[in-house]
Amino acid sequence: MTCAELEILLCDYVDGTLRAEERTVLEGHLAGCSACAELAKDVTGVTAFIETVAPAEPPAELLTRILHELPIGRPSTEKRSWWRKWIGGWVHGMLQPRYVMGMAMTVLSFSMIAKFAHIEPRQLRPSDLDPVKIWAGIDDRTHRMWDRTMKYYDNLRLVIEIQSRLKEWTDQEQAQNAEGSKQKATVSSGQKAEGSGQKPEAGTSEKKR
Amino acid sequence: MATVAIPAAKWNWVPPYPQVRTANNLDADAQLVERCLAGQDAAWEDLVKVHTRRVYSICYRFTSSDAEAQDLTQDVFLRVFKNLRSFRSGEGLFVVWLTRLTRNLLIDHYRRSRMDRATESIEDQVKMLEETTAVLSRTDGMLAGREASEVLQAGLQKLSPELRETVILRDLEELEYREIAQVLNVPEGTVKSRLNRGRAELARVLRRHKVRI
Repeated sequence: MTCAELEILLCDYVDGTLRAEERTVLEGHLAGCSACAELAKDVTGVTAFIETVAPAEPPAELLTRILHELPIGRPSTEKRSWWRKWIGGWVHGMLQPRYVMGMAMTVLSFSMIAKFAHIEPRQLRPSDLDPVKIWAGIDDRTHRMWDRTMKYYDNLRLVIEIQSRLKEWTDQEQAQNAEGSKQKATVSSGQKAEGSGQKPEAGTSEKKR
Repeated sequence: MATVAIPAAKWNWVPPYPQVRTANNLDADAQLVERCLAGQDAAWEDLVKVHTRRVYSICYRFTSSDAEAQDLTQDVFLRVFKNLRSFRSGEGLFVVWLTRLTRNLLIDHYRRSRMDRATESIEDQVKMLEETTAVLSRTDGMLAGREASEVLQAGLQKLSPELRETVILRDLEELEYREIAQVLNVPEGTVKSRLNRGRAELARVLRRHKVRI
């Protein structure tokens, strides 16, 4: 028996499942080969050591945790039609905590906006559902809100300051423009006057020539 | 420092592998799977109860971390829940299928956490060695139970993933060579070769930790 052959049979030897004749041959090799004898000793020693090892026990809460996390009770293992899967996906998505939280925040935001916009909640009557009335109400409310917003905007101190400053600048510009045009007018009238005085002279000089 | 003795190796001992998985167990597994596929919630509970210990044990022995082992065990069962339809009882045992799934998840985890291990500080490694040595110095006789488990754990971490998983599946989980070959997708001869190398390497590591082999 060679060392390579021994290595193949070593596991079965350690397990005790080797046939008697193979075992005799193997033990004969071990008696004459120190390297294989050491390998066999190490292998059997480790196997004996592992036997003394306590099993790794999972903590009790792990089972509860796994059972809690497993989607047991949901029909994921059944074959479902495509529309049930589609609807199931939507419903499942809507039941997610973050989606519910998002919806709650949206409702809260709208209610706060409604409060600031003085939209008072009251009991609905059948007549409130008339489309014309709803449209008129929305239109009226929109106009009111627009006017209120504009008034609020106009009354802002910063806006007033900016507007007055802009007005000041516009007035100044206009005044400067007016003054400039006045000066231009006087200059052009003076030039005209000078021009009318010089022309006859030129004419006379030509005539003289 | 006290040298600790473990049972001397015997050349003619009784095989240390009791037949834990009997024919009844296998039938029970197949029935459980069928009930799970039929949508019975109670069957899922039973399946988790029966196999949590095995999955956790493999994960813990491989990662050497209780927290990681718990997370991985949970992931394994979530994957079982999603993929149970892909298991065919005629093609193999459920235990082998489950172990292969666990092993694949562990290998993924090993590759993902490679960077973390590379950056692990030297202080941590020294601390682990000191703790193991402290355990050994407390014992004055044979190592057994939890202490042996800690020493083995430290030794397993020194093995390469290939050798480690083979030793775990054979010596701790007591799978047959044929089953290990199916799980690892290698020939049976390779399994035996890896097992010999793994055990020999582990013996060297344990000897370095003052455990007499």
